[in-house]
Amino acid sequence: MNNHWQLLMTNLPLFIPLVLLEVGLMLAALIHALRHSHYRFGNRVFWIVVILFIQIVGPLTYFVFGRGEN
Amino acid sequence: MRILTIMFEKELVETWRTYRFLTLITFFLILALMSPLVAKLTPTIIKLSLNDTLNLQLPQPTAFDSWKQFYKGITQLGILVTAILFAGTMSQELSKNTLVNLVTKGLPRWTIVLSKYFSLLLQWTVALSLSLFVTWGYTAYYFPAKITPTAVLAGFLPLLLFGIFLLALILFGSTLGQNNYGGLLIPLFITVILYLINLVKQLHNYNPLSLIGDNLAILQGTKPLSQLLPGMLVAIAASLFLLGGTVVLLNHRKI
Repeated sequence: MNNHWQLLMTNLPLFIPLVLLEVGLMLAALIHALRHSHYRFGNRVFWIVVILFIQIVGPLTYFVFGRGEN
Repeated sequence: MRILTIMFEKELVETWRTYRFLTLITFFLILALMSPLVAKLTPTIIKLSLNDTLNLQLPQPTAFDSWKQFYKGITQLGILVTAILFAGTMSQELSKNTLVNLVTKGLPRWTIVLSKYFSLLLQWTVALSLSLFVTWGYTAYYFPAKITPTAVLAGFLPLLLFGIFLLALILFGSTLGQNNYGGLLIPLFITVILYLINLVKQLHNYNPLSLIGDNLAILQGTKPLSQLLPGMLVAIAASLFLLGGTVVLLNHRKI
């Protein structure tokens, strides 16, 4: 256990920005999905599940394929 | 020239509002952060998965492992995501008829092509350079090795130049194709052909694909950058040809 903790601490400068970027992308996609009601395909629930549960690829897919026109 | 600047600004606003630039830069930064992390954690992961039953002596990861991950990530996933994001650059405007008003008011069609190309080029350069500096910083921090800045930049230059070719290809495909898939399928088709040409050893240095294949060798100093000069020239010549082709295609196309 101690070993794992050490592993986490030494790599913290990498983990923090990585988590921030992933969460940031996820939030941006989530806010967009909640504010707009038109999607190219799928419905709101589908996109929220995709954005929340598929890391990186989920929000990316939403922005590229799911985002409807304003 | 003034029209070109205005169209260029329009492209930049568009890429911001459609979240393309945001997505591209976030993805590239994630790739850049993953490279040193994966290089650093690989021995630990192997040890954990083998459950300490084998007493393996794994070599310590080095700065080169980190750079290897960087070039692997960018040249595979990075290029794929770039192509997916930008595949609709021209075809979307054509299918939605958003260019009709501008063209009928007398906008020269070549300015559309050039403004789009320059905006793609700017986005590629910014995203790629940022990810380079991130990986560079972390690699220098975690793996103290004597890699000169010249070597790092020499390994990076071909990748940056490959973008000139790639983006011209995407724009060409996007104009030629009737739908969004054209921008993806045509670059894919050309890449397959280039990989087949790559089987001929004598042509390797002339092949634009060597620009994304030999980065690590240049970084390590086992291959001089000057050997890739033919490949770079071919890539630039091909991009000019493709851009000219795109203008001709658009001129003959019913908008």
